[in-house]
Amino acid sequence: MKFTEELIDDLAAKLLIGLTKEENKLILSEFNIIDETMELITKIPNIKEVEPMTHTLDDFSYTPREDEIEESISIEDILANCDAYEGREVKVPKVVGGE
Amino acid sequence: MKTIKTIEELHQMLINKEITSDELVKDSLKKAHLLQTKCNAFVTILDDAKGKEVTEDLLSGIPYGIKDNYSTKGILSTGSSNTLKDYVPFFSATAVLNLEKHHVVPIGKTAMDEFGMGGSGTTAHTGNILNPWDTTRMAGGSSSGSAASVAAGVYPFALGSDTGDSIRKPAAFCGIVGYKPTYGMISRYGLFPFASSLDHCGCLTRSVKDAAIVVDAMKGIDKNDLTSWDSQDIHLFESLDGNVKGKKLFYIKEIVNLENYPDASLELKEHLNNFYHTLDYLKEEGVTIEEVSIEQNLINTIFSVYECLSCAEATSNMSNLTGIIFGPRGEGKGVNEMMKEHRTKGFSSLIKRRFVIGSYILQKENQERYFVNAQRVRRLIVDKMKELFKTYDGLIMPVSTGPAPYIDGSKDEITKDNTTNLEEHLQIGNFGGFPSITIPNGFINNLPVGINITGNCYDDANVLNIAYALESKMPYKNQVAPILKEDE
Repeated sequence: MKFTEELIDDLAAKLLIGLTKEENKLILSEFNIIDETMELITKIPNIKEVEPMTHTLDDFSYTPREDEIEESISIEDILANCDAYEGREVKVPKVVGGE
Repeated sequence: MKTIKTIEELHQMLINKEITSDELVKDSLKKAHLLQTKCNAFVTILDDAKGKEVTEDLLSGIPYGIKDNYSTKGILSTGSSNTLKDYVPFFSATAVLNLEKHHVVPIGKTAMDEFGMGGSGTTAHTGNILNPWDTTRMAGGSSSGSAASVAAGVYPFALGSDTGDSIRKPAAFCGIVGYKPTYGMISRYGLFPFASSLDHCGCLTRSVKDAAIVVDAMKGIDKNDLTSWDSQDIHLFESLDGNVKGKKLFYIKEIVNLENYPDASLELKEHLNNFYHTLDYLKEEGVTIEEVSIEQNLINTIFSVYECLSCAEATSNMSNLTGIIFGPRGEGKGVNEMMKEHRTKGFSSLIKRRFVIGSYILQKENQERYFVNAQRVRRLIVDKMKELFKTYDGLIMPVSTGPAPYIDGSKDEITKDNTTNLEEHLQIGNFGGFPSITIPNGFINNLPVGINITGNCYDDANVLNIAYALESKMPYKNQVAPILKEDE
């Protein structure tokens, strides 16, 4: 079987997300529906020769701005939404040399 | 019934001093609170909002709503997610700043499907958002609260965002106008990103003219959004003259033909019959409308192409939601455990499922089959549309399979049945960045339904003018759901 509960749990773990059994089961069924339709794509003649569309507008252009220093966001403003900080730094549990 | 007027009418009343901006704002706040008890349309109601100076600007002094995925400086902006339940941005989205220059007055932040991922209004962290025409029905999503509040007459307009149909479908379900302009006409800076190549800013209003006025004020090139472009020569409001003689539209046979739906519900039959009937109004105005056939296989892939691209982009965009730098801290021994708890508890089931799908698609070994193939088909669909736009001014289609579905039993799951193409075709507008507008075109079982017009990139004025001409032939312009009537 292409899609398994283990595969889905592994993907969720990589995303740092925990899933319930019901959620896992639902993803399995959703995967199968998507996969079935993606199979249709492989049957489109010469599909491999089509240039993938990566930008929404074909005629997109932009002139880069001058490389000038602009006012930046204050650290205090950024830390206002942080639950744990000390002085001007985000506080996290010890990473190096920790458990 | 003060706010149940168009922007132009309200402006005239303000200029004539029949009403003040303060009175308008107070009336709007009162209605917002009433609607909240009935439809749960808001995350935040800004009770300290005050009227503003009235100038010659049509929008000056007028109240409005902002979808909760627009960053608003100093105002709670949650994206209807528990992961950002206390987040207060230190800057405002460019679209909001552009509107502020017109002296508009924000009344509230509207509830939505979490981060815009969903079409039902049932995944907000503040609970289900209900349809003001019938509170047992969904408002549609993801711009659910914006649609519900405009439809209920809280104010004349609200901001929305649209990645698959998130402005245009709730507009149909709530009997109002929903317009997303060409990709990049409105800066996305400060809009919480969902799928960057598909995300559009836009608005929900009760008339096409109001939509033109609002987007004229929101749009503009922005150095903070490299995909925005200079639209200063486009004047949407001034371009509306209702003259559509000689215009050409098409609809897609494979999606609209009732014979393709042998088990069609009565609602679907009525909806499609009403669609064909609506086309007659445009024909009376000299518009040619033709049926066009598109390869069925290509149409059948629309929904999966959308799922692949949107899930993959969302997974990447939302990897910064960790609860470490912002958002509520999760508990755990180390950083990974803390992030896992934050994300597991914070995201709704739907979001988690989409992220897992997105992650799978982006794995190196799967990219070619899913992500790259989806990008290839996106190009085929867009090229086909652009080829048709050489002959036609636009695509005209019914929105969804009829009126808003019941909330009970709705799951917002990926399913597939023979009406999927009718449900999902608006995503074509996001694939190509095409301007696209929904307007109400009738009632089925006392519930509103909508019709959509989509045109070529940069041809917004033409698309809006066709919608304006059609709106003028029907009695649904500026209609209001009677949900607040009994309380006034």
